[in-house]
Amino acid sequence: MENIINIFIKSIFIDNMIFAFFLGMCSYLAVSKTVKTATGLGIAILFVLLVTLPINYLLNKYILSAGALVWLSPQYASVDLSFLSFIMFIAVIASITQVVEMVIERFLPSLYTALGIFLPLIAVHCAIMGGSLFMQERGYATIGEATSFALGSGIGWFLAVVAIAAIREKLTYSHIPAPLRGLGISFIITGLMGLAFMSFMGISL
Amino acid sequence: MNTNSNTYTFIYASVLVVLVAAVLAFVAGSLKTKQQSNIDTEKRLHILQSAHLATEAAKASNKNDYVASQFEQYITRSYVVDYRGEITDGNAFDIEMKQQYELLKHKLKQELRLPVFECTLDDGTLLYVVPCYGLGLWGPIWGYVALKDDCNTIYGVVFDHKGETPGLGSQIATEKYARQFVGKQIFDKDKFVSVSVVKGGARPNDLHAVDAISGGTITSNALQDLLFMSLEAYVPFFEIKTKQ
Amino acid sequence: MFKKIFLAPLFKGNPITVLTLGICSALAVTVKLEPAMVMAASVTLVTGFASLIMSILRNTIPNRIRIIVQLVVIAALVIVVDQVLKAYAYDASKQLSIFVGLIITNCLIMGRIEAYALGNKPIPSLIDGLANGLGFGIVLTVVAFVRELIGSGTLFDIPVIPHSWYVANGGFYENNGLFILPPMALIVIGLVIWVQRSISKELIEKQ
Repeated sequence: MENIINIFIKSIFIDNMIFAFFLGMCSYLAVSKTVKTATGLGIAILFVLLVTLPINYLLNKYILSAGALVWLSPQYASVDLSFLSFIMFIAVIASITQVVEMVIERFLPSLYTALGIFLPLIAVHCAIMGGSLFMQERGYATIGEATSFALGSGIGWFLAVVAIAAIREKLTYSHIPAPLRGLGISFIITGLMGLAFMSFMGISL
Repeated sequence: MNTNSNTYTFIYASVLVVLVAAVLAFVAGSLKTKQQSNIDTEKRLHILQSAHLATEAAKASNKNDYVASQFEQYITRSYVVDYRGEITDGNAFDIEMKQQYELLKHKLKQELRLPVFECTLDDGTLLYVVPCYGLGLWGPIWGYVALKDDCNTIYGVVFDHKGETPGLGSQIATEKYARQFVGKQIFDKDKFVSVSVVKGGARPNDLHAVDAISGGTITSNALQDLLFMSLEAYVPFFEIKTKQ
Repeated sequence: MFKKIFLAPLFKGNPITVLTLGICSALAVTVKLEPAMVMAASVTLVTGFASLIMSILRNTIPNRIRIIVQLVVIAALVIVVDQVLKAYAYDASKQLSIFVGLIITNCLIMGRIEAYALGNKPIPSLIDGLANGLGFGIVLTVVAFVRELIGSGTLFDIPVIPHSWYVANGGFYENNGLFILPPMALIVIGLVIWVQRSISKELIEKQ
């Protein structure tokens, strides 16, 4: 249990998807002009991470990793399908986002209008794919840990994108050197925020 | 042709999947041995480096062959011991330290399978090389400790890590850092004390402590803990060896 | 004509600093030059060949599964690159860790397929893909050069700052550890954009 909380806190503040690993920068820069769109995309990412990561965890544990097929029959102990993991993960992510999109459209039309345009984008979102790859690389032991990592990273991404959007809204009123306007200053601000987030490093529960 | 009909879409997807799977299986299959030998070479090289051997590895024209032949030459014996320090069956080289670490963490001592590599230097000195494994700030840290035949004095160490902070925590993997450990002792008289990693610098002449990495406090603490935990598991084995 | 396709993405249509594509998976590998260049080469190859393959297939793909087909082709290419790196450049592949896999979601590749390869012949598509990969690689290399030089005092792991300059040896110089930390990649790239837009003023964003 303590491990699960630890992973959760760590993935929000220390291993923040944006500030520590720059995952999802493209859409982060594209939507962070206003707080409203940033919130929409942030929630969509959180949601899809939370659904795809446990599925990919099970996929990795029972099908892809070396010797994972033993539950079918002991003779498969030497089978190692891990070379297929990239393609399986991305297939899961792409199909899940499609399904999620359809389900939300059918049952929660108001949420769909809010998230709608972002959902197709998420299939190729680095933070989602990165979540699954980190899960595999770090070898989380239980599905609980994997889910808590998904929740933490999602919240971390959400916080980061909303925070930068708020700053960029204010930035409209400041005098930025012309060549730095827009993209350039966003990069630098993200860097400074990343430095601030680094002070969380070393926290452990 | 109607490229949007259901049948066409279905056939297209199936053909694509089969084709891609075939290509990937072929690539993965044909590179498998090469990849495995890279992994083995790294492990062998670490074991040799803890005993200050295989110094020419970076320059060797065929690194894999060079390391394999050095390993053959110097690692004269390897075996697996259990928690009582007695030799049991198993291949030392194939033991995954990650699994042993999990067992240690959950205090399942009976199931421990601990590898030992005996290294004989050119002058006939016998060394025991044992692995260590634990978690650092960002991911696993592992390494090997070469002990002299008194099972107490450290002859050399080597550490590696998956992703400690570059320039800070990652310094544990440097030769300069490893050199500090040479000559340290893991027993204080008969009591096992391991080697502690002291922030702000170890006292000179302290036989059981080394300096921590400045800016890498968590990595340093992790290193101290994993050394203690990993070496402690070998204490029964060391005691048997020293009584002989 | 090929020359124009090739040169545009290198500076004025640079995928990172102008089009903001493909930043995600790139910056985390810019601490040292070597992994950055391996990454740049991998991305260049994947972008080029993905564009080539998609351009050859462009008239046969069922529209409904277009995105999935693209993803499958890209993922397959990335797996090939990953396997080859593990076999022939083991140390570099260890340093790149998950970032090789993240080439799949590099928006640059998808972006070039959608914007160019699906509407053009195979050879120009290949050139467009390779050139965009190179444009991406140039920025990566510049950022890695600055970070490795200032942060570690080395280039390709070879020390370039004279030994006697360091404070530890009685000199005046100390490596700036700040540049090793992840956020500095963003700040360096912000500065690169500043320089580039000061040179070509037409890239400056409107207020």
